[in-house]
Amino acid sequence: MNRITIKTTDKAHFYRQMIQQHGSPLLILDCDKLAQQYQSLSAALPDVKLYYAIKSLPHPAAIHTLDALGASFDIASSGEINLLREQGVAARKTIHTHPIKRDKDIRDALRFGCTTFVVDNIWELEKFTGYRHRVGLLIRVSFPNPNTAIDLSRKFGCRADEVSLLIQKAQSLGLHVKGLSFHAGSQCPAPDNHVLAIEQCANIIESVYQDSGKLLAVMDIGGGFPVEYSQQTGIHIDAFCAPIRAALTKLPEHIQVIAEPGRYLSAPAMTSVSSVMGKARRGESTWYYLDDGVYGSYSGQLFDHAVYPLTIFSDNTETEQAVLAGPTCDSIDVIAEQVSIPSMNIGDMVIGQQMGAYTSASSTNFNLFDKANIIAINQLELISENVLQFNQ
Amino acid sequence: MKSYTETLYDSYGQEFTVDKVYFENKTDHQHLVIFENARFGRVMALDGIIQTTEADEFIYHEMMTHVPLFAHGNASRVLIIGGGDGGMLREVCKHSSVQHITQVEIDDQVVDMCKQFLPNHSAGAYDDPRVNIVIDDGARFLTECNEHFDVIISDSTDPIGPADVLFTSEFYQNCKKCLADDGILVTQNGVAFMQLDEVTTTSSRLQAYFTDHSFYCAAIPTYIGGVMTFAWATDNVQLRQLSSDIIGQRFAAANINCRYYNPSIHSASFALPQYILDAL
Repeated sequence: MNRITIKTTDKAHFYRQMIQQHGSPLLILDCDKLAQQYQSLSAALPDVKLYYAIKSLPHPAAIHTLDALGASFDIASSGEINLLREQGVAARKTIHTHPIKRDKDIRDALRFGCTTFVVDNIWELEKFTGYRHRVGLLIRVSFPNPNTAIDLSRKFGCRADEVSLLIQKAQSLGLHVKGLSFHAGSQCPAPDNHVLAIEQCANIIESVYQDSGKLLAVMDIGGGFPVEYSQQTGIHIDAFCAPIRAALTKLPEHIQVIAEPGRYLSAPAMTSVSSVMGKARRGESTWYYLDDGVYGSYSGQLFDHAVYPLTIFSDNTETEQAVLAGPTCDSIDVIAEQVSIPSMNIGDMVIGQQMGAYTSASSTNFNLFDKANIIAINQLELISENVLQFNQ
Repeated sequence: MKSYTETLYDSYGQEFTVDKVYFENKTDHQHLVIFENARFGRVMALDGIIQTTEADEFIYHEMMTHVPLFAHGNASRVLIIGGGDGGMLREVCKHSSVQHITQVEIDDQVVDMCKQFLPNHSAGAYDDPRVNIVIDDGARFLTECNEHFDVIISDSTDPIGPADVLFTSEFYQNCKKCLADDGILVTQNGVAFMQLDEVTTTSSRLQAYFTDHSFYCAAIPTYIGGVMTFAWATDNVQLRQLSSDIIGQRFAAANINCRYYNPSIHSASFALPQYILDAL
């Protein structure tokens, strides 16, 4: 159930002004908040190089903000590569993490200058034979996590006991495996699976070295760092990361640790503003039809299993049972049901919080409703054009 | 200070300080840049890979032209595939025996851009009356070409990207078709220490069409990782075994000034390191 906060209408001024200027529906991307999230996670994982998973919010202002802070980038498709190229991100700061690629995907990445790739099976390894002198590979290991909203070890990742065979195969093909990667899950309620995976990867790295003398130098601990949605409150990233930090201190000194945070960085940085475009009394409930819904910015409530905290503005303290629905003709397009809120008028706003990750990224044009515009605020000064793509 | 890092290899690379960016183009899903570096002068990079620099281009261009042209001894018709920067053309134009040069470049913007930003590469060669510039895909041009050339020079970029068709069996077969008797094909074939596969792959493909094929070498500083190999293919087995004296006479008669090439280098460049011979 969405957590709904009622604020007095005088608090609506900023959002009212934004939709007067930019129209409704809107997504407001706060680059300051994004920077704060990056800094918080950097502080919580001080020796870990952070690769922003741009799939969560592939927006130029987000890329630019994080690039300026020194972040690196996790890419998974040629479209994401094009976005980074347009933003002038140095390719040396990128890794390609999709475990399954077409030859063209590999070539596009190499032409961009990304030379680190992730594999989890023999057929994928063989695809790199022609590029073996150019690339370094990470082997993705599966650590299933039944406790997360999204178990990222179901679709990808080899079993821990398959790693040494893959490394042997890679060596026979002349390919360089430089480390291991895993995904403990997405929106993890606790870091137990991260800790388990770090320990097991350390064991694998040690046994590979004992058996073959092969040195694995990189451990990619993936993402999964949680943010507060309606169901989960009171998350403190430093406390969440403490057991991970403790596990990392036990690693051999030569291992460089990297991570691929997406949601943790982008989710709190974007806010949805939608407006009531119609209302009806049906049975016991008042139905409010908003101009954004689960086919649009709220798509994460379906695909990402997120339930976003909502805010409405009213000076009325009496509540009634209501349904908040999206604009499309499909009956699945409902954001929140059986909520108790004060009566709203047509034109009133509904604010969705924590809506940066996997929201606009997976929104559709169903019914040919326009997607919400993303308005970036608090952007850093743009660096002049001709230094793009160069290291600073 | 700004810098440019080459992204050719995951675990090894070169970095340039950038004094000034002259040109940058990020369209068409590729990234092309020309910048000033204190040691190498103007540097052109495409898709993260150094293509040419003002300071060391002479080694590459002299070796790709004078070795086949002096070995041939009387080349009058020369075909250049690629070579949009004009450096190859400049060196070929130095040979008075050459009466006709066709250069096939896939992108006319590359020619214009290089004339503007790398003028020392072509050094006016595009104005030579013997030169015919064709804007076309080099592989396609050869498929439809009915002419014959004494020397074909394939001055391509890396095999990943638009130039991948210039490393196929079909391309070598079409080169063979367009060579005159005693004609020679030479191609840029990468730095063998770093990319030994390119040598073995090219060798096996050339073998199918030419009586004699081999490689010759030169070290070009910004093609990092050891000596660059150039593939050599012809049906006249004598041509890569000519004595330094014969080459020396031809070189003297031609009265060409070079900074890397000379008759001794010519002969010596066909000596291959053992790790290449072992691979072949």
